[in-house]
Amino acid sequence: MNCTEVLRVHAYFDGELDANEAASLEQHLGGCAGCQALLADLERTREALRRAPRTRAPAHLRARIDALLDSEAAESRSRVWRARPFWWGAFAGLVTSAAAVLLFMFVLLPAASAPLVDELFAAHLRSLSGDHLISMISSDQHTVKPWFAGRADVSPTVADFAARGFPLAGGRVDELSGRRSAVMVYRHGAHVINVFAWPDDALALPRTTSRRGYRLLFWRIGDVAYCAVSDAAWSELGTLEDLVRAQGAAEQHSAPR
Amino acid sequence: MTDKRRRFEAQVLSHLDAAYRFARWLSSAPGHADDVVQDAVLRAFRGFDAFQGGDARSWLFAIVRNCHVTAMTQQQRRAWAPLDSEEFVAPQPGPEEDALQRDASSTVARLLAALPAEHREVLVLREFDEMSYGDIARVLDIPIGTVMSRLARARSALKAIAASTPGVFP
Repeated sequence: MNCTEVLRVHAYFDGELDANEAASLEQHLGGCAGCQALLADLERTREALRRAPRTRAPAHLRARIDALLDSEAAESRSRVWRARPFWWGAFAGLVTSAAAVLLFMFVLLPAASAPLVDELFAAHLRSLSGDHLISMISSDQHTVKPWFAGRADVSPTVADFAARGFPLAGGRVDELSGRRSAVMVYRHGAHVINVFAWPDDALALPRTTSRRGYRLLFWRIGDVAYCAVSDAAWSELGTLEDLVRAQGAAEQHSAPR
Repeated sequence: MTDKRRRFEAQVLSHLDAAYRFARWLSSAPGHADDVVQDAVLRAFRGFDAFQGGDARSWLFAIVRNCHVTAMTQQQRRAWAPLDSEEFVAPQPGPEEDALQRDASSTVARLLAALPAEHREVLVLREFDEMSYGDIARVLDIPIGTVMSRLARARSALKAIAASTPGVFP
């Protein structure tokens, strides 16, 4: 099955195509025996899979969950100070802190990174729209890196990866949540890739996210957080990340101990 | 019963069976699904105030999967050697299923069990839970394009395994 429409056949089968796309795919199906066979295959597989029984959550699990939720509710209702032995209080304190940390990690932190993502996206758009893309035009890492000193809050890993298809075009400094982040501008074919670097403040960052078709890929090296923003493909952003990481590791090794 | 609890029961706990099934597919180690689902429901309840609406099922599934990943990481950290992530025993059918269905279903389960976890979970979400690509992306925390290509790869991997097990897929 080497037809280029294979993925769209899957999407059609899963009801993920809109009416126009579905109609155009149906037209293609009329003339492509391979895709017809694939579609029939998908139907047979689904039919076989759906013969599997639907297990239900066991009664003891339901009972345990009910009891847990009851005690959660009771805890929040009667959060009144009562005379309790010291160790009980200490233990309760520990449990509450642990719960608070969990809640913080799973609920508040992801939300906290959203404004940062918006800022990165806005900074990327801004850089594309005017002449603000590059302040320091150079493909020489030994020019760009020192230029950041005193201008940005971090000294990021910078190198020209022209040999690997990611020439360094220059650098600039953008304000990001009140900090001066170093921005390395790379080109990849017709794509511009802005790599932002700022002091990592242990804010939970997504690994990847996207805004209006632009892709954002995050990583960390030591105590510096990085985000590559571009319309280039995920795999290309991943390659650039690998290159920067390898460069960072090489710099680490050459450092005096 | 508080109002929060009532809303939680209606919106989230109504998906308990589905969440449990999903957890069973993630790992069938004894008691694992129970622990993971219990942990996930508690976290979901505590975070329910921050739930923005939208699809409660995929929200709960995403928490279940996070709890599963956390539990596996902790298990690996405790063990001296990393556990084989492919170590998977097909879920045991309950007594309520008749023999015929048990036969077919255990074959399907065996086939799915033979797949890498990455392929198994995307197939389970699509074929058993009938989730849209968008919901699957939310549960697995990957882009929709990745859902699409991973699903296609998973299906052809399943087909390849089924081909060596005659009589499963007519």
